[in-house]
Amino acid sequence: MVSFWSVTASLATGLITTGKLFFLTLVFALPLGLIICFGSMSRFPPLRGLVKTAVWIVRGSPLMLQILIVYYGPGLLLGLPLLPRFTAALVTFVINYACYFSEIYRGGIQSIPRGQYEAGQVLGMRRSQIFFRVTLLQLVKRIVPPMGNEMITLVKDTALVRVISVYEIIWMGESFIRKGMMWPLFYTAVFYLAVNGLLTLLLGWFEKKLSYFK
Amino acid sequence: MKKLLALVLALTMGLTLAACGGKSDSDVKYVKDKGTLVVGMTDFAPMDYRDGNGEWIGFDADMAKAFAESLGVTAEFIEITWDSKAMELETKAIDVVWNGMTLTDEVKSLMGVSEPYCKNAQVVVLSADLAGQYMSADAIGSLTFAVENGSAGMKALDGLNIPYTAVDTQAKALMEVAAGSTDACVIDLLMAGAMIGPGTSYPQLATAAELESEEYGVGFRKDSDLVKAFNDFWKSAYDEGTVLSTAQTYGIAQNIIEK
Repeated sequence: MVSFWSVTASLATGLITTGKLFFLTLVFALPLGLIICFGSMSRFPPLRGLVKTAVWIVRGSPLMLQILIVYYGPGLLLGLPLLPRFTAALVTFVINYACYFSEIYRGGIQSIPRGQYEAGQVLGMRRSQIFFRVTLLQLVKRIVPPMGNEMITLVKDTALVRVISVYEIIWMGESFIRKGMMWPLFYTAVFYLAVNGLLTLLLGWFEKKLSYFK
Repeated sequence: MKKLLALVLALTMGLTLAACGGKSDSDVKYVKDKGTLVVGMTDFAPMDYRDGNGEWIGFDADMAKAFAESLGVTAEFIEITWDSKAMELETKAIDVVWNGMTLTDEVKSLMGVSEPYCKNAQVVVLSADLAGQYMSADAIGSLTFAVENGSAGMKALDGLNIPYTAVDTQAKALMEVAAGSTDACVIDLLMAGAMIGPGTSYPQLATAAELESEEYGVGFRKDSDLVKAFNDFWKSAYDEGTVLSTAQTYGIAQNIIEK
């Protein structure tokens, strides 16, 4: 029983790293995604093209490869000092997830009927006013389910950062294999399920809170 | 916008210059200026493992601390992903790979390596009741194998033309055998000594044929002057008896190479 608790404690330290990565990624990627979204809908073709190409590269290549490039790339290609491991992981996740989020935002914005923009214009509102006073509230409501999907994927994707030796839950679980214990690796699933269970409840509650147009 | 662009350009140039400035020819000087020797390793008893207080100990860890002390710096241990060790060194994420590393041609081509300090062998591990039938390399062709990807054991099997499943650590190779998904694995003798047989987590497993003997060395950046600093340190530590007494503490005195 002693070993059960010490394994749990060790996995919990991994959970803290996983949790930090998850929260900080959301904090930075949610607003950055909106900025990227505006870029990809820009009326200025070169900017639109640039942003769409960047989104294609980020969404089209494996996240694990991106983590390796962000961490080792500066040192290998330019001889620059490296970012700390956790920071490199965070930067990669923020960029990667912001690109996915941007497409969800775009879907949400474009699902708002055209007539509402026109009505806003007729009333003499500026584009920014239309966005913040008319579109945004409806947008948030519509994107909660796909955002929830991404957030749950994010919790599990954090496991990839062990390729640059960031000690998250799976790394901690795997390190017990060297000591001849196999079950801690599989036990990590309990932590992911608990976090995602909590997240699902939270998202459900949030969705209910948003039923303000009913 | 123009100001921002100018700022970004200035920053990039500054960083590039800083990087050039930081590139001194002497790795010894680089480590001394920094005050730490960053040791890349994995949890690998009896070479590197944690004691009850979470402190890294083991034959390699203790000697690394002594080497750092001889340079007047402190040793800092970082658990790395073993497959990335050359990249970790080259990018200066770590200063040395010191973890019972077999001196293969691949390792020698990627790093500046020390003189070998420890002997080891690659050994077949399988269920104890079958071990008796597989004591020679000729007998093992009919078994299915798991082996650590890129390890010396994998090269030994390649040499014998025996197919295998590559897994990412030696410990996972043992787990495959214990779980019954493969008949046998090839791991090194030091690890086998610590992890299988009566009184361990795998009492049902035993060692059989020895495939290949090998030597352990310490890896530095290519052309680094730390290699010479290490060889000198090791020779004097051997003469003083520190090497053997440390090896005795961890039960590997018979593996140490005479200097």
